[in-house]
Amino acid sequence: MIRRLIPAAAVVALLAGCSDSTDPARPVGDAAPGTLRVLAGSELADLQPILDEAAKATGISVKFSFTGTVEGAEKVASGAAEQGFDAVWFSSNRYLELVPEAQKRLSTPAKVMSSPVVLGLPAAKVRELGWDTKRVGWAEIAEAAGAQKFTYGMTDPSASNSGFSALVGVAAALSGSGSALDAARIDAVAPQLKQFFSAQKLSAGSSGWLSEAYQRRAQDPGARVDGLINYESVLLSMPQPLTLVYPSDGVVTADYPLTLLTSASSEAREAHRKLSDHLRSADVQRKIMETTHRRPAVPQVQLDGKFATKDLVELPFPGSQSAVDGLITTYFDQLRRPSRTLYVLDTSGSMQGDRIDGLRQALTGLTGADESLAGRFSRFHGREQVTLLPFSSSAQPALKYEVPQNDPRPVLDQIRATATNLDASGGTAIYSSLRGGYDVLRQQIDADPNRFTSIVLMTDGENTGSEGITDFQLFHLSLPPDLKSIPIFPVLFGESAAAEMEQVAKMSGGKVFDARSRSLSAAFKEIRGYQ
Amino acid sequence: MKRTLGIGLAVVLLVGVVTAVVLGQGSGEQARLQTVRGVIGSEKLAFFADQRVKDVFAKHGLVVEVDPAGSRQIATATDLNSYDFAFPSSAPAAEKIQRDRKAARTYAPFSSPMVIATFDPVVGLLTKAGVVKSGPGYQTFDVQAYLELAAKGTRWDQLPGNTAYPARKNLLVTTTDPRDSNSAAMYLAITSFVANSGVVSSQDAEAKVLPAVSKLFLDQGYTQSSTEGPFEDYLSAGMGKTPLVLAYEAQFVDRVVRGDSSVRPDMKLLYPAPTVLSKHTLVPLREAGDRVGQLLQSDAELGRLAATFGFRTADPRHFNDVVEEKDLTVPQTIVDVVEPPAHETLERMLEAIAKQY
Repeated sequence: MIRRLIPAAAVVALLAGCSDSTDPARPVGDAAPGTLRVLAGSELADLQPILDEAAKATGISVKFSFTGTVEGAEKVASGAAEQGFDAVWFSSNRYLELVPEAQKRLSTPAKVMSSPVVLGLPAAKVRELGWDTKRVGWAEIAEAAGAQKFTYGMTDPSASNSGFSALVGVAAALSGSGSALDAARIDAVAPQLKQFFSAQKLSAGSSGWLSEAYQRRAQDPGARVDGLINYESVLLSMPQPLTLVYPSDGVVTADYPLTLLTSASSEAREAHRKLSDHLRSADVQRKIMETTHRRPAVPQVQLDGKFATKDLVELPFPGSQSAVDGLITTYFDQLRRPSRTLYVLDTSGSMQGDRIDGLRQALTGLTGADESLAGRFSRFHGREQVTLLPFSSSAQPALKYEVPQNDPRPVLDQIRATATNLDASGGTAIYSSLRGGYDVLRQQIDADPNRFTSIVLMTDGENTGSEGITDFQLFHLSLPPDLKSIPIFPVLFGESAAAEMEQVAKMSGGKVFDARSRSLSAAFKEIRGYQ
Repeated sequence: MKRTLGIGLAVVLLVGVVTAVVLGQGSGEQARLQTVRGVIGSEKLAFFADQRVKDVFAKHGLVVEVDPAGSRQIATATDLNSYDFAFPSSAPAAEKIQRDRKAARTYAPFSSPMVIATFDPVVGLLTKAGVVKSGPGYQTFDVQAYLELAAKGTRWDQLPGNTAYPARKNLLVTTTDPRDSNSAAMYLAITSFVANSGVVSSQDAEAKVLPAVSKLFLDQGYTQSSTEGPFEDYLSAGMGKTPLVLAYEAQFVDRVVRGDSSVRPDMKLLYPAPTVLSKHTLVPLREAGDRVGQLLQSDAELGRLAATFGFRTADPRHFNDVVEEKDLTVPQTIVDVVEPPAHETLERMLEAIAKQY
């Protein structure tokens, strides 16, 4: 994993102009000769060394801007991608091609490499399950998961392709019909799917963070997760080796098509052709296989020994956007373990004006007001427990909601009303308020322990309360394992104390999200992938 | 092949000035090359871009510039006014253009039968299942037997005694998207013929065959929009992903002729019985376009070159020479060939399938 993360970090730093506050999805500038501007999935970052060599060999350099699967499709469909990009490069074009407005903007694809989404477990666990001596199908995997014989982490299907592929794969396989999924078939296999997802103990908005969190939790017996569902390539590059389980009934494979947009200039077209030819040449293909653990895309290059299973059955993928969107919605509202989400929100005097407006909008967006595709998937889901804990000089009473599975509208409207009425005044007692949040969570966990629980901490300035970060740290250390392992996702905003927020994220196994150079809405939406 | 390949992407094929100068020397006057513009099915792009092909046209005083586009798009959506000829990959598309533009004649200089590319173990399995049969000197894929299996939603792992490919997914030929691609339309021509026991030529017949033929596409779920896509998967990802893929014979032959070792010994071609020919048909829209048609039809050198791209030529000797020289295992003559339905019929059926996605 380390090897994969270094180039990723380097690219992000480069794109961000050496500041971590810039949105990695920002445009990469005007067209320039010898440059291909590419809107891409973030997992392509590990290809940077290969692309650096390609630039030397072909004179064509790639400028990346990263975005998620659904958001990327939306940018292509709306025509926004054409404004700043010549090509798109995601782990697959399948979702894009199902959106008619996006499909018609795609021109020549060049598949560069492939990697199936599979399950990785420690060797001992595989032996314990008896899967070392026989191949198992998704149905057996789902059954073992339902019986809590193992746990795993997986990315959010609406934010990241590996989770999306796993969801489609397991649903297709369990449906047992062998043909593509539609809404009726999804409903029919919902009980089995629910079993399978009951063992998912970790979610993430990106494959990279998922692997990091998995490794961090391996050190902590209370928070340990057995395995990961991820790309074969990611699992093969983990520092502690995992045994890969290739379901006998099939997988969904990413095939990484570097795809020109129809709007591209003739220079960009030529650049795309040159670069594709180079990347698909036998030597480069071999190098991609060796350094990124992805399978070659051209038949002339033989698979090397690390790919234990060669002829993988590919499961059928749904043929319409409505089937896919329905599957994702069902996953959120019915299949996955429900979330418990606590928002600790700064409503101090410094939030007056645009800032409190931004906060109202960010929360309102999550109640269904954001009608974009990505917005629809990031709304508060059916069965989710949402608690808002506004604070200023002290914490205000916690406002608790539970979104019903079937008719979410009335509760979402209540949350919206509360959000719209948030007002700003007073001081900024961050840590006593945050500490108070654990009282709420303790009660909720006692009543119902089986949920994904997480905390969002949004504040726009320095702590003015009497309790400081050190007090909080001591408090956090004293927490029982189930509360201590709850990740905190601090959101940097305004004059946030970035270093302290970083510490808070680190001690809780969370992650900092930056809203200083983009809207709070964008940050809140991104966090949804981790809740 | 792909609707989304915009007409806007002009591929300008400029013939070397050298040729012109050389030609000019004999007569002592300035050789003048006439530029001819055409819109073509994208699978012929490599042929028109080949320097040897450009040289032959130059010898006859022509520079041929082509824009690639999907064949169905050429027939229905393209503004043809700026072109001297249209060269779609199927007869129904050409037929519509000829009628719309009142063209006096058409040329069909090359063709390629639709085939099914597969692997040895699958051939064994499907032989036992009665789908693959030994035909007149080549192996055939019995479309009737296949339709019966597909109608029942048969999965691979339900074939008796299947240890070679026990995949828990439906036994289906991988095709392209019927909303985008000419090859998928040709597949519809084949399967609708069999389901109807004859060419579909009435709306009653359309209604009768639609449920069965729609299923062949819809049950696949997502399909790619360009014929290159599934064929490349067949070559690189192999049997697991693509046990049976619909292709143009020319795609397979082209790969073998290239000798890039992408076609391995266990890869096999089956000829659907019946099959249809993808008849690359040139419709002249102006005088200059007519000359291109004549040359493609009659010039031996162009015929030879087309054969090296895997196309069967008007004069069968060219293709047969390539078959012999490269020791290809493809039949010289295919016997069980049927005609596709009329353009309007085919379009109506494609629309009806598209609506069910």
